[in-house]
Amino acid sequence: MTEYLIRRIAQSVVVIFLITIVTFLLIHAAPGGPTQMMLSPGLTPEVMEQQAKNLGLDKPLPVQYLKWVGGLLQGDLGYTFKNHLPIGELIWPRIGKTFILMGSAWLVSILIAIPWGIYNSTKVYGLSDQTASFISYLGFAMPTFWFGIMLQQYFSLKLDWFPLSDMYSRGHEGEIGDLFMHLVLPVTVLSLGFLASYMKYARASMLEVLDQDYIRTARAKGVVERKVVFRHALRNALIPIITLLGMDLPILVGGAVLTENVFNWPGMGRWYVEMAISREYSVLMAITIVTAVMVVIGNLLADILYSVVDPRVKLGKQGGKTA
Amino acid sequence: MSIDNTGLSGALSSQSTGPAPLDPKPVPPADSVVKRPPGPWVMLWKKFSRNPFAMGGLIVLLFFIIIAFLAPLLTPYDPAAIDLMNANLGPGATDHLLGTDELGRDIFARLLYSARISLLIGFSVALASVVIGSVIGAISGYFGGWVDTVFMRIVDVMSSVPTLFLNILVMAIFGTQIKYMILILALTSWMSIARLVRGNFLQLREMQYVEAAKAIGVSNWDIIFRHLLRNASFPIIVNATLMVGGAILSESALSYLGLGIQAPATSWGLMLSNAQEFMLIDPLQALYPGLCILVVVLAVNFIGDGIRDALDPRQQGIKSRRRLDKWRKTYSKSEN
Repeated sequence: MTEYLIRRIAQSVVVIFLITIVTFLLIHAAPGGPTQMMLSPGLTPEVMEQQAKNLGLDKPLPVQYLKWVGGLLQGDLGYTFKNHLPIGELIWPRIGKTFILMGSAWLVSILIAIPWGIYNSTKVYGLSDQTASFISYLGFAMPTFWFGIMLQQYFSLKLDWFPLSDMYSRGHEGEIGDLFMHLVLPVTVLSLGFLASYMKYARASMLEVLDQDYIRTARAKGVVERKVVFRHALRNALIPIITLLGMDLPILVGGAVLTENVFNWPGMGRWYVEMAISREYSVLMAITIVTAVMVVIGNLLADILYSVVDPRVKLGKQGGKTA
Repeated sequence: MSIDNTGLSGALSSQSTGPAPLDPKPVPPADSVVKRPPGPWVMLWKKFSRNPFAMGGLIVLLFFIIIAFLAPLLTPYDPAAIDLMNANLGPGATDHLLGTDELGRDIFARLLYSARISLLIGFSVALASVVIGSVIGAISGYFGGWVDTVFMRIVDVMSSVPTLFLNILVMAIFGTQIKYMILILALTSWMSIARLVRGNFLQLREMQYVEAAKAIGVSNWDIIFRHLLRNASFPIIVNATLMVGGAILSESALSYLGLGIQAPATSWGLMLSNAQEFMLIDPLQALYPGLCILVVVLAVNFIGDGIRDALDPRQQGIKSRRRLDKWRKTYSKSEN
């Protein structure tokens, strides 16, 4: 276990290292590179050179890269080009706001999707199952931002039940009730996407377990169907579901780009798009790295979780994931 | 989606029977006596055409392809022509079928021309990812060893990069052009096909006909691309079909964010981002483009699922499944 963990962590470090290289190269492959974007246009070449020198942009690429990675290792995410603000201080509040939005959507969809998926697995092709599969199809095919716009039009412009956008109404900053009203519409939009995949997954996972020999044995012994489903099948079916939830952890930090833009939610996703349009390269690099680290950590956690929930899984042994 | 029964089934069955006659005339008499089993493509089509959802999806998709091609014939208006005198007309007000937007552009014309962009991007992204994914997956699975390790690590890294973030980054850096969009969408979606093809090749390379081919001196290149890839083609098709829908969604998302298609070109996503700004004036404007995206993506997904079900020997269609269910129910009732 320890040996496996060390190897997995080493692998993760390599992956993150590769991602830093790719991000750095991408930014510097841009026509004109970051230099042109950073410096105000219309300056004389001498002034431009002087400015580039101040920002460290005149040094060769490997030196710039090492400087950047060195900063990252010390927790320094760099500074914005405009106004020269520290990115680290700007990024954390935004991650928090995204986390509130995504966390609520995630919880809501888990609470609906998993019991519903389990119920549907006991009544395959029933009315509830058909409805669920219809919703899944919609969830996979509907552009989330369009769904958001439609909800805005109906529930805030026409019925005026919920506020149109933003996180708090003016003058109500920090009030839980106000926050809740602002959360309803974006959470509905985000939940549909989660719901579609979780429900399908929970159902498939249950069906696979229900098909196994020991379930047949339990039924043959005369165990009540309710007990078969909840005691015997559910425990094993939950294992892959928990893994899936673990894999989705990083989405909680960066996953709501479109919804945040529709509802003007002041989180990471909207910030990222704003910064992309105004070409704040150092911010883009910082956000990409932060999200990538989250993804890698999430995957690692999912793996560990898997072995904790399922004692049959012996991590690190060849072919250990067989039942 | 072209399903060319005779040509492809002929080409496939030629593996065992030598050059298959595509023309019905020179068929040898032996064939007319012993009825040849239908080729895999014919079988696939037979099962596929029995699935109402899949057929519905196919018809809808064909419909959209046709209107995309015939766009100039279906509307007299130029989708980019600005006519401020006739801005914000409601549907059916004048001879503008669905009205005009805030700059007086005909909405119906814009919808038609947007179908071109979406379908173009959907299909080219799927095609490009199939090419990248199958080449990398094939080489990886066939040769194994360090080649496999290197390629699969690349796949791991690519899969752990948040896709939408990377797409936004590239579009912001390189500028918003269709070729860059197709390229980056393909570069961020080929991994699933690579994994799939590699898995298939790990099995296929142990087959005896591969050994036989090697023994008579067929080159590795020919074994991979002429013998093995053909056997992995069905799962690739399923995956690629579902990818078309994903690419259309990604395109609309990027255009909506202002990092995709730019005016004067039009796209459903771009129309939505305009419509959201003028939501108070004309709420209907946001409805049409979103519906178009939804319907096209649903159609493509139904087709993909239909092909997958048709290929799955365990699936005998929903009807017989229902009948089996009914039978089971009555059976268990009689037990109680």
